[in-house]
Amino acid sequence: MAAGVAAWLPFARAAAIGWMPVASTPMPIPPQEKKKGKDGLIILNVSGTKFQTWRTTLERYPDTLLGSTERDFFFHEETNEYFFDRDPDIFRHILNFYRTGKLHYPRQECISAYDEELAFFGIIPEIIGDCCYEEYKDRRRENAERLQDDEEMDMSNDVTPVNLTPREFLWRAFENPHTSTLALVFYYVTGFFIAISVMANVVETVPCGMLPSRAKELSCGDRYALAFFCLDTACVMIFTVEYLLRLIAAPSRYKFMKSVMSVIDVVAIMPYYIGLVMTDNDQVSGAFVTLRVFRVFRIFKFSRHSAGLRILGYTLKSCASELGFLLFSLTMAIIIFATVMFYAEKGSTASKFTSIPAAFWYTIVTMTTLGYGDMVPKTIVGKVFGSICSLSGVLVIALPVPVIVSNFSRIYHQSQRSEKRRAQRKSRLARIRAAKIRGTNVYMRYKQNGQINSLEEASKEAGKALVAKARSPPFESQHNHLLHCLEKTTNHEFVDEQTFQANCMEISVMNKTGSCASSLSSSPHGLSSCCSRRHRKKSSFSLPSTNNQELSTIQIRERPVANSRSSLNAKLDGTLKCDKPYITPSMVSLSAPVVTTSDGHGSTTTTAYSQSNIVRVSAL
Amino acid sequence: MLSAIWETEGLQTVGIVMLVFASIKLLHLLGLISFSEDSVEDELELSTVRHRPEGLEQLEAQTRFSRKELQILYRGFKNECPSGVVNEETFKVIYAQFFPQGDASTYAHFLFNAFDTDHNGSVSFEDFVMGLSILLRGSIQEKLNWAFNLYDINKDGYITKEEMLDIMKAIYDMMGKCTYPALREEAPQQHVEVFFQKMDKNKDGVVTIDEFIDCCQNDENIMRSMHLFENVL
Repeated sequence: MAAGVAAWLPFARAAAIGWMPVASTPMPIPPQEKKKGKDGLIILNVSGTKFQTWRTTLERYPDTLLGSTERDFFFHEETNEYFFDRDPDIFRHILNFYRTGKLHYPRQECISAYDEELAFFGIIPEIIGDCCYEEYKDRRRENAERLQDDEEMDMSNDVTPVNLTPREFLWRAFENPHTSTLALVFYYVTGFFIAISVMANVVETVPCGMLPSRAKELSCGDRYALAFFCLDTACVMIFTVEYLLRLIAAPSRYKFMKSVMSVIDVVAIMPYYIGLVMTDNDQVSGAFVTLRVFRVFRIFKFSRHSAGLRILGYTLKSCASELGFLLFSLTMAIIIFATVMFYAEKGSTASKFTSIPAAFWYTIVTMTTLGYGDMVPKTIVGKVFGSICSLSGVLVIALPVPVIVSNFSRIYHQSQRSEKRRAQRKSRLARIRAAKIRGTNVYMRYKQNGQINSLEEASKEAGKALVAKARSPPFESQHNHLLHCLEKTTNHEFVDEQTFQANCMEISVMNKTGSCASSLSSSPHGLSSCCSRRHRKKSSFSLPSTNNQELSTIQIRERPVANSRSSLNAKLDGTLKCDKPYITPSMVSLSAPVVTTSDGHGSTTTTAYSQSNIVRVSAL
Repeated sequence: MLSAIWETEGLQTVGIVMLVFASIKLLHLLGLISFSEDSVEDELELSTVRHRPEGLEQLEAQTRFSRKELQILYRGFKNECPSGVVNEETFKVIYAQFFPQGDASTYAHFLFNAFDTDHNGSVSFEDFVMGLSILLRGSIQEKLNWAFNLYDINKDGYITKEEMLDIMKAIYDMMGKCTYPALREEAPQQHVEVFFQKMDKNKDGVVTIDEFIDCCQNDENIMRSMHLFENVL
């Protein structure tokens, strides 16, 4: 903590002489000052930007990279400076920390980049100064939320339904309706019935025409009582079934029963059952009528269907303090003005302001600028204060409202962002997948060219039109070499997707027929290989899981291939004869249909793959 | 008739209310009452004091520090106080950073007074360096002189028991609460008694400079501790 004022330490120690005369015991021996290193300048070269500081400045914090011997690892003898291949803009702040003892967070920097730099230089972020701490924490929280969103999406998609118990499956169907068609159907059906139920409640009270025997008009509810009753029953049955299913499927029933939505569900269906139970007693029917009011809560069930409603509810919850303040200030103002108005209007004849509570109504109506006009002041004084009341009403109400609005806007934008991220997730994954495929294709091309080159040398076929590839950059060639080494190590090869699917079909065919390589040509359809079927089933989920499945099937399927390969090899030996004696087929891959085979069967398209006897020979 | 009475009464109400508001406004204008809390800001001096120390050669001549040492001292000084002078608040803040457990503000206050030799409320670099020169490179006589100056709060040449008690409390405050053994209320007082017993030769209740220097020079512990911080810089 005192390292920021380390330069004043000599002063503090010198001032300790003031304690000496009053001390009664001898003082401890001071620490041995090791031979002071020359207090020289240190040059820190961060990606070309040179920073210089005193050695002692850096050594104030010995548990960081720059303050400890760890920086010797970065010493560059030729230029006699310390070189760091990091971001110079962020390094500026880190160096300032050493100088002033306070770490600041620049607003325009990305939070993860900043965190990485801090981690690299061994500085814990908790020591960020008060001036920047709020901003840092906010940004960090946003970032964490974003990561959590992504993870949740991953997790919710990765769990395959095969591993779920029926109960978990049911819960998942309820929470994410778009996971299965049944859930979607259920979702829409419940929505429809909520709407029907609410509309029925509304229409029930509309006057529906007169019966000749009665004097007054009947409402629709009374006229078609049976119809409405049946409708109500149907809706309540659906809601009850839904509630019971949710209750059964919930992972934690207690928590589910405490949640807001379940309370709304219960309140929505309770009046019906209570009505069933109760008799047609006159005394109780008054209470029963009141209960019917609760049926309107069914409309809140829509909040499961609408994100906007949920956001509104969340906003109101988070703005509770502002709303409370609004209410409090309004109450204060109402009481003040009601009192003043009452005493001002006391004198006028036939004044409606009979008491202060009666004046409350006038004050509320005036302050919210409603102005019904059922109560108006008649005296001059009353009118003066009435105008002051309405002016102040506008102010008092207008003040907390922007706070609530900005809260709502922030939460709404947040949900928009996460929605956008979710939507973009598909395209993001597609981009990632495309990049992977590109990489695979590069490798495939490298392999083909590599094989073709070696084949060409081996077979001395000069006339082959080979695309002489431009020299690939050294990084790429080294990377490809690495992948090649991996292939050699595992005795497997990398293939691209279409080839792999074709392989799947091929292999299933081969397994079924049990014959050798000659029966490689087969009908691609008809025999629905488990591979393709599984692929189709997986198509509704996210792609990473598909890839996982594919990879695992590669491992599974490779055994039979190896067997067949050996038979292939045997056959190939026979085929090749002594034309190319120096080709020893070490590994055969059923892939890359573009390459022509040694016996001239040309098949260049993937679709015609199954018809050709494609064998690739990779020379050792 | 009745309504006329009520009308006049209503007008009277208005008159009274307006009178009250006007008087409040008048009082506010006169500055007798203030509504807002941020009148403190108006009192802030808008001009910050900038002070440039004397040249390096002069300081070198006046103090017993070498050039390099002066450079190091000034860099640290200027880092904390860019304006070139330390006022008491900054001094307290800096000193408090070295003693996080306790409350170093009282002792810092006394220290500040000891450094501020011309008593103008701020410590310039010259004052700072002069004080340090005495403390780190001075003779025993000078150091003891300085210490006496520190203890003598009202600078009248005598250390009374009350002054000593203040100093002692300030020193014990820096320890904070969490000490072993636990700090008792009477500890400073007892310490003062011990001190006076040792120093006050003629038992007149005050300690003069000669008594002080005499006594310290005869005490081996104190002599040894005076040399403790010689090679701090």
